[in-house]
Amino acid sequence: MIFFYLISGLFLGWSFGAKDTANIFGSAVETKMIRFKTAALISAIFVTLGALLEGGGPSATLTRLGSVNEIGGAFTIALAAAATITLMVKIGIPVATSQTLAGAIIGWNYFAGRLTDFSSLAAIAGSWILAPVLGGICAAILFFIFRAYLNRVNVHLLEQDFWTRFWLLIIGAFGAYSLGANNIANIVGVFIPVNPFRDILIPGLGTLSGLTQLFLLGSISIVVGIYTYSQKIMKTVGKELFSLSPITALIAVLSESIVLFLFSSQGLHDLALRLGLPPIPLVPVSASQIIVGAVLGIGLAKGGKNIRYHLLGKISFGWVAAPVLAFLFSFLTLFIFQNVFEMRVQQIPHFVFNRTTITEIERRGYDTRKLSTVNGRSFDNELALYKELDKNALYQRPELLALIRVTELYPLVIDPELLRRGGHLKRFSKDQLQAVQELDGKEFKHKWQLRNALAKYPAWQHRSEPATDKDREHNKQLDNRLELLYSSFYKPKKL
Amino acid sequence: MAQLLKTTKFIESQIDAFLDIVSDSATLFQLAMDDYVKGRIEQFEERLAQIREHESKADDLRVSIERFLYERTLIPENRGDVLAILENTDEVIDNIKDSLLQFSIEMPQIPVELDDLWMQTTKASVFAVEQLTFAVRSFFRDLPAVNNYIHKVYFFEREADMIGEKLRRQIFGLDIELSLKSQLRFFAIHIEKISDYAQAVCDRLAIYTIKRQL
Repeated sequence: MIFFYLISGLFLGWSFGAKDTANIFGSAVETKMIRFKTAALISAIFVTLGALLEGGGPSATLTRLGSVNEIGGAFTIALAAAATITLMVKIGIPVATSQTLAGAIIGWNYFAGRLTDFSSLAAIAGSWILAPVLGGICAAILFFIFRAYLNRVNVHLLEQDFWTRFWLLIIGAFGAYSLGANNIANIVGVFIPVNPFRDILIPGLGTLSGLTQLFLLGSISIVVGIYTYSQKIMKTVGKELFSLSPITALIAVLSESIVLFLFSSQGLHDLALRLGLPPIPLVPVSASQIIVGAVLGIGLAKGGKNIRYHLLGKISFGWVAAPVLAFLFSFLTLFIFQNVFEMRVQQIPHFVFNRTTITEIERRGYDTRKLSTVNGRSFDNELALYKELDKNALYQRPELLALIRVTELYPLVIDPELLRRGGHLKRFSKDQLQAVQELDGKEFKHKWQLRNALAKYPAWQHRSEPATDKDREHNKQLDNRLELLYSSFYKPKKL
Repeated sequence: MAQLLKTTKFIESQIDAFLDIVSDSATLFQLAMDDYVKGRIEQFEERLAQIREHESKADDLRVSIERFLYERTLIPENRGDVLAILENTDEVIDNIKDSLLQFSIEMPQIPVELDDLWMQTTKASVFAVEQLTFAVRSFFRDLPAVNNYIHKVYFFEREADMIGEKLRRQIFGLDIELSLKSQLRFFAIHIEKISDYAQAVCDRLAIYTIKRQL
């Protein structure tokens, strides 16, 4: 049954494969520089490699937006997002998978009475603006570099054609790799907390982790999308907004690949931190939006005369309409699946104000006298609790969110074996794993209890007053790893 | 990819060979005219035979280049433009050959007084064709230089028109039979037309150059 739920993820993967790989190779295929068969084969290989080798980075961000805690919910979210994308593609409006998915997750949040983490939403939404702008700037700079270079170097038209083809293939492969690394989180991200795959030992080769199997399945669905539907979409990419030549197509694809890589490379992210530079967030960004930004950048660099500006309105409309539509689809399908098909789409959360949680709240320095109206009570709706606490406006929103997190019941049973089976071991340092090992078999009722228990070990200690980007990144990384522990050790039936 | 690069280099050499033939044909035309004017008819006929051979080779090369470009889907963006340039340039050779053939058939008597202007018109047309080959070569290898050569082609075409007009005025000012005047006018126009063809190719080339610019 659990594999049935993955079907919607595969549907999402299919729509992604059809739509987003068209953004990578669309202009090259449309200008007849690369045959569709070649483009499809290269996309298939490199999207899969990117997803498997570097796909873990951006996956944490979407999980923070809304922690979908039931596979039925993940199924519905993926279905709503895929349906929205397919609909928008059918009516010819380019949309972003990450935006659509974010809309669908917020739909789940509203349906489940959960609060939306607006700071994560802001980080993701910021990247929706930053990515196309970066794509445009990158394309404009590359355009001037290419023009200066080509005017200086006397290359025969036919040789230029040969090298353009060659680089379109290489850069397309790089783009497909980055796309797989950056966007596999979109396809199977919502399934990570409920991953049904277990590790497979391959004699002589090592272990194929559960997470890798999930990413591999996602990649296969993308490949199916590439082969079955992307050719149709490729015909419209790069033609609608601004007519591209093979060289400008190369510039657009190169810009897109660079920006996708910037948003997905853990190595680059770490390097920026080591050099004391502000790191680019590892969030899933939209290939569709970057290519639009890149094409626009080239158009403006050429003087902005032949840009079909009226199409920009249509594209911008898609960027707003897709998440809104996905939100509505998600909410509606969750309602139908829960009430008509009796599918479990969420686990009812519990929030308790008892001696343990009040003591922890006190320990954190909050004034617990203001909690007299809720003391001793329990809630099973996050939104209702938020409204109750907010009624007298005694706390600021961040404080309220912190209080709610403390009171949330989240039963955990520590079993390090689960990390191995889920393929998560490589995400932790040796010392961190050692600390988890020492807690083997212990049970906790709240997430913060595990966090406090781990905080005794140096490898799990947060920087108390992070002053630099490096410190903040350290804390963020620890939070991400803690989230992974929470989702891995969650055992509701043990209580 | 290695095979594609090999094919690319091969077609490049074929295009260069084609343009060499155009350039050689123009030079041969000038030499043939000189032979004709100076009465070296046998040598003139040899030049005509050479040009016929060149024209046939140019046709074969053009067809071969076209076939390769289509079969290997090379330069998809510029293929139509390149083929148009090659076809139009090929017409210049055809025109050169037709002119000489017409001389060989009709053998018009050119009065000595016309020799100088006759050769000046011929040279202006030949220069226009030579500059055209430079322009076409630049279109493939050195785009910013194309306009300089196009400018030269236009210059020599105007020069050919101007000298040609003088020639025709002088023809009709001579005390010869009207039938001969009419025949000589026809040949003078034929020579001028060679530079007109070169100019027509350049008109297209100027547009294709703009299209190719990044």
